[in-house]
Order: sequence, then C-alpha cells, then structure tokens
Amino acid sequence: MRNLFLLATIIAAMRSMAFCGFYVAKADATLFNDRSEVILVRDGERTIITMSNDFKGDVRDFAMVVPVPVVLRESDIRIVERRVFDMLDSYSSPRLVEYYDENPCHPPVMYEMDVATSRAEVTSDKFLENKKSPQSLGVTIEAQYAVGEYDILILSATESAGLKQWLTENGYRIPETANDVLEPYIKSNLKFFVVKVDLSRMQQTGSAFLRPIQIRFDSHKFMLPIRLGMANSTGSQDMIVYAFTRTGRVECVNYRTTKVPTDRNIPLFVKQKFGYFYKDLFARAHRREGKNTVFLEYAWNVTPSFGGMKCDPCVGPPPMPREFAEAGVDWGGQNGGGQVFFTRLHVRYGREKFPQDLVFQVTPNTEHFQARYVLTHPATGDLTCSSGQDYLETLYYRRHRELEELNALTGWDITKRQSYTNDVKNQLSPERRNNIGGPWIPWKGPGGGGTPMLGWLALMGLFAVVLRILQQWPQRRLA
Amino acid sequence: MAHTRSILRPIAFLQRDARHFQILFLGTFLLYGLLALHWDAEWQRYALILVTCFAVQALFIQWKGLAWNSMKSAAITALGLCLLLKAGSVWTLALGASVAIASKFLIRWKGKHIFNPGNLGIAAAVLLTGDAWVSPGQWGSGATLVFLVGAAGLMVVLRVGRIDTSLVFLGTFAAFDYVRTVLYLGWGSDVWMHKLTNGSLLLFTFFMITDPMTTPKAPKARLFWSAGIAVLAFVLSWKFWINATPIWALLIFCAFNPILDHLIHGEPFHWARPGNRISSNLIPIQHQDHA
Repeated sequence: MRNLFLLATIIAAMRSMAFCGFYVAKADATLFNDRSEVILVRDGERTIITMSNDFKGDVRDFAMVVPVPVVLRESDIRIVERRVFDMLDSYSSPRLVEYYDENPCHPPVMYEMDVATSRAEVTSDKFLENKKSPQSLGVTIEAQYAVGEYDILILSATESAGLKQWLTENGYRIPETANDVLEPYIKSNLKFFVVKVDLSRMQQTGSAFLRPIQIRFDSHKFMLPIRLGMANSTGSQDMIVYAFTRTGRVECVNYRTTKVPTDRNIPLFVKQKFGYFYKDLFARAHRREGKNTVFLEYAWNVTPSFGGMKCDPCVGPPPMPREFAEAGVDWGGQNGGGQVFFTRLHVRYGREKFPQDLVFQVTPNTEHFQARYVLTHPATGDLTCSSGQDYLETLYYRRHRELEELNALTGWDITKRQSYTNDVKNQLSPERRNNIGGPWIPWKGPGGGGTPMLGWLALMGLFAVVLRILQQWPQRRLA
Repeated sequence: MAHTRSILRPIAFLQRDARHFQILFLGTFLLYGLLALHWDAEWQRYALILVTCFAVQALFIQWKGLAWNSMKSAAITALGLCLLLKAGSVWTLALGASVAIASKFLIRWKGKHIFNPGNLGIAAAVLLTGDAWVSPGQWGSGATLVFLVGAAGLMVVLRVGRIDTSLVFLGTFAAFDYVRTVLYLGWGSDVWMHKLTNGSLLLFTFFMITDPMTTPKAPKARLFWSAGIAVLAFVLSWKFWINATPIWALLIFCAFNPILDHLIHGEPFHWARPGNRISSNLIPIQHQDHA
C-alpha cells in the first residue's frame, strides 16, 4: 500500500468553521505538523478561509480532509499563491528595533536615529478507486471537482465508522482517536472536503510546493475546529491566523486572547539570535498563561486609504489591494470599500488544554498592536567627560535591566553574560567603578520584567482609601 | 479588648452593609484580571466609568432627595462595567455607565426598577453605538476561577436568598448543554466542562442574574424565570451563534418581570431585612428607601 498522509483540515460544525493541521501519518512515515497558517476573512456572515500547511513530505503522500458546513460549489473553491502568506507573515512578524545612544561628551549637531529592523523567523492512483461502495458505508460523494493541482471530493457521512472505513479503504490511515472527533462533526451535519494532489496537473503548474486552498461560505459560525488536528498528536501544534475584518480586531471567545509581551528592551547580543529569542519568549509566555491562551501578535488598520502608519517600524510592506484580493477581502480595493482591519493571532494548542474548537468574534476594537523588541546601541567615542561617565553609569544599570528582562522573557541563563555589563563598568573611572553598586531596581517586580510593583501598591492603597470613605458614608446623609 | 476589636473592625465593616462585600469581591475580580490574567490596565477608562456612575447617581440623589449612602450602588455598577464592558471610544463607556445608573430611576414599575442596571448599560452601549463589546473569553476557564467566583458568589447569593436563581440557571444551562454536547454530538465531557467553567458564565450566574431587585418576587416565578434565561441563552448560542448570550437573555427576561410579578405574587425584597443585606446584583441596587 502506498504511503499516504492525510492532512485533515476540518471546516465547520453545522454551518461554518475551518480547521487546519491534521496530519495523519501512514505506515512508518513520521511527520510533525509544526505550523499551519490560516487567512480568515469575516464579513458579516461570509467567511473565507485560506489554508496553508508546511507539508514537507512527498506530495503523493498528501491528502487533506476538511469538514465544511455546506456542499461547496466549484466557484467557492480556489487556489491562491503561497506568496500572500509569506507577505502577511513578513509584514506582521514580531520585530526587533535598533536605536543608538548619542555621545554626551560630543553631542552631535544633527543626530539621525537609525532604525533597523529584522523579523523573527518563526518557524513557522485514482482518487475514487473505492474498495467498497460509499453508499454501503453511509458515505455519499456530494460533489467532485478538479481545482488547480488538487482533486477535490465533498463527502457526507451518516456515521463516523463508515467514513473512517471509507477513508481507510481508499488509502488513508486514520488514527483510532479520530473517530471520537469525526462523530460530533457528522452529527453536526458537516460535509467533508477531501483533497488530494494530481501529480500531472501539479507538474503543469510548475510549482514545487502545494499551493494554499481557499474556500468561502456563509454561516453564523465563526470558528476554527482544531480538535481533529489533535487526533494523532500528543504534543502541541502552532497555528498562525491572519484575520481580516471591516470593523476591528478578531478575538477568541472561548479562550483568553492575550497580548504577547512587547516593547521590551533586550541586550544587543540577542540580535544574532532573534528567531530563537522569540521562539523561547513565546514558549515561556505560553507556559505562563497556562497553555490555554490565544496570543495576539499584531493588530493594525491596513485600509489602503488609511492615512497613518501601517506599522512602526515596518518589517515588510503592508498588504495592498492585490493581497486583499488574493486573501478574499472583497471590500479592500484601492478606490472603494471600507476599512480593512488586520489581526495576527498565534495559538499553540494541545489536546489537554484546548478541549473545544476555537470560536472567534469580530470586535470594534481598532487599537493597534505589534510585538516589538528594542535594542539600544551604546554611544561610541570618548566618554571620559563627567556627563559621559554619568551616561556610562546609567548604561551599566540599563544593561542589567536588559539582562534581567531577557531572563524574565525567555528564561535564558544570564550568568554567563556578565561581560555585557562589565564592559561598561570597565570604561568607568576607578572611583566611579568602586562606587557603583549592585543593580537594585526598586520599581520592578520579581524578574524585572513584570508589572511595576509600585503601581500595584498604589492601587491597593487607593482601594483601602475608597473603602475607608465608603465606611463613612452611612453617617453622611443629606439633610 | 481593644486589640481584638481592631482586628474585627474590618469584618464588622463588611457586615454592616451588604454592598461592601460586593465592592470587595468585584474589586478582587478586577485585580485578579489585571494581575493574574494580565489584562491591560486601562486606568483612565476605569476612572471614567466610576466618575460617570457617581455623577449620574449624585444627580438623581439630589433630584429625588435620596441618601448619599446609595453611592455605593453606583460603585458596584461601575465595577461591574469595568469588568465587562469594552469600547473603542471613552464616550461609549460614559454612555453605558449613564444608561446603567439612570435606568434605575427612570425605568420603574411599582416602585421597583425593571432592568439590571449593568446589564442594560452594556446592552445600550453595544446596540446603540456598535462601538462596544464584551469579551466572554477574557476570564478563560479554570479551577482557580471556579473557586474564586464560586466561593465569593455563594457567599453573596446565600445571604441575599437568591441561591435558587443561580442554581436553576446554571443547572438548566448545564443540562441542556450536556444533552447537546455530550449525549447528542458525542464530544467528551471535558468540552462541556470547559464551557461551564468559563469565568464570564460564572460571574453572570453569581453576580448578575441574582440581583434581588430585578428578579421576580415569588420563588416559583424565579424558578421559571431563571430556567427560561438558561434555555434562551442556550438556544441563542447553539442556533444563532451569538456570543455572551446570557446577557441578552437576561435583558429580554427582565422586561417580563412586571408581568411575572403581577401574575405570581411574592414577597417584595427589602434590603433592610436582616439576612438580606447583601445586594447580589453585579450592578445594583437602589437604596432601600428608593427601591
């Protein structure tokens, strides 16, 4: 039997939903579904979902099963180019910004702030040769299309065992546990969108990679079913969602949506390993939030006519009408249409902490957000003047804070990085060097990167005062 | 002994007025959200909601000649709105806060306000402006949360005599959802538990629906009423995929309160009565002289 992988991307209980990232390894092949990406467009009841998976195996082994709310028409399915994902990813990735201190001993006549950016590399046969008639298994082939390099079937099923048997007999290997998940989707009257690659047509396209598939439908539901994707996975999987709406941010309604830590000052040496830095930062934030949170990584108004900045700083060009059209944003043309708001969500999900499929809502929240980390280069040149020495002292403490921030964000061991602060200390005059104390940062909470402690103390004090005032109230009555 | 008395003073203070408890609990929830769940601390917005609620309450206190004591109710309303209502513009928050407080004095039937103030404030802000929203997911689901909200909520509803309302609502909602999610669809019970332990649902169950001033007077009527809210909330979320459905269901059912009170007679609620001193609505509670 051929080696086959089944990537089941599930769309929808009842009327709308999408799910990405269900690899079903067949035989002894192993695949880890690191990351899947979804473009999610929501406009009223209309949902357009574009799915891209980083499938790394032989394309002959690729297959995808997507539960969909309705029997999709051929015109509801299309293939888009992968570049729209790359473009959105590069535009909205967590970013590193560099600033330069000026030399206080030699203030420049004109100082030009150099902002450089880089972005985190987030690592991101014949189909119908049935062994048994589908009808006898309670499986109906509702429709059958050839779209681009893909052969597409739309199945409906009356019970999960029949569907499972049909898929198995047709060369797919379904994990045992998938049964538990298929059943609720069937009961929810979903159809199953089954996709395989036609090699000859793929060769005609000239593309070495599988191109993303886009589907559209109308439904009350705005969700991504992730449960099927966990059927054969013991660990966690990552999904990046690029969402477009007319009004504002997309947020999850059945899990918390939390901002990823941002605007943090980090040591210069992180520049070389920013990708690792963000990966570890994300892992730590994920653990800290209880592993059951959806993270916001980016939110911005990307309306073409929007006068403000599209990012600050930009690590990639903002999406333009061409990308909107590719993503399925019908209203985002240059000359018309309304506002286009973009949200990037990042979710790391596993079976234990994510029992329910992801449900979303569109909010009117247009507040901008980006994951941004700041490097500040020290002043260069002679710093022996008094203000230069003051500056070095400040720099010394700042670097301590940067190290502590790094440790708090990523858990990296900073004890081996003492040269980062000692380099500065060594530039101080001997008297100053002796007087410099250990880095005690009273306004920082434990870990140095947390919430300012004094703020909370002040808040508690305020609360006590309010209670005290309220205590007096019963006595103060209006005459 | 003076020392013992000084320790007991805060407890006595809490006991003295039911609303002190509520302010403490709601304040704790807000702090929990900010500290443990890392919400954005929107101090200016919280301040605006508080100031608006106080200002509108003060206006009506002057107009109706009520006790200043009732400012505590405004504080509870304000804290409830800080916890639930989100908006793009600060004016939307001010609108929600104003409607919440004003409705207690303006939308009345036989000496009792009809709508739960916070509930109406949220609904007004969301429906009238399109600029406001609630985030049902902001609390997440978890054991700590169940304990925190459940324990505090039980203290409140037991004192105020509305444990029936809480339990019938939660029980009915849980039963319907169990039948649909677990028995019919075949999901594991962890899916069902995840829905039920949602912080927003628990907060609603113990702190909003239980407002004794806006629940029907008769116990029998309250049973039907709270079960009705649960069924409507369930249907709206299952059939129409509306979010935060308990809030909308409560709004609709509050409108029927005068009819229910007319059909099934019950004892009116008095805050002054011993054992009834805790106001259990998230937003609340007119002072007894007025309510």
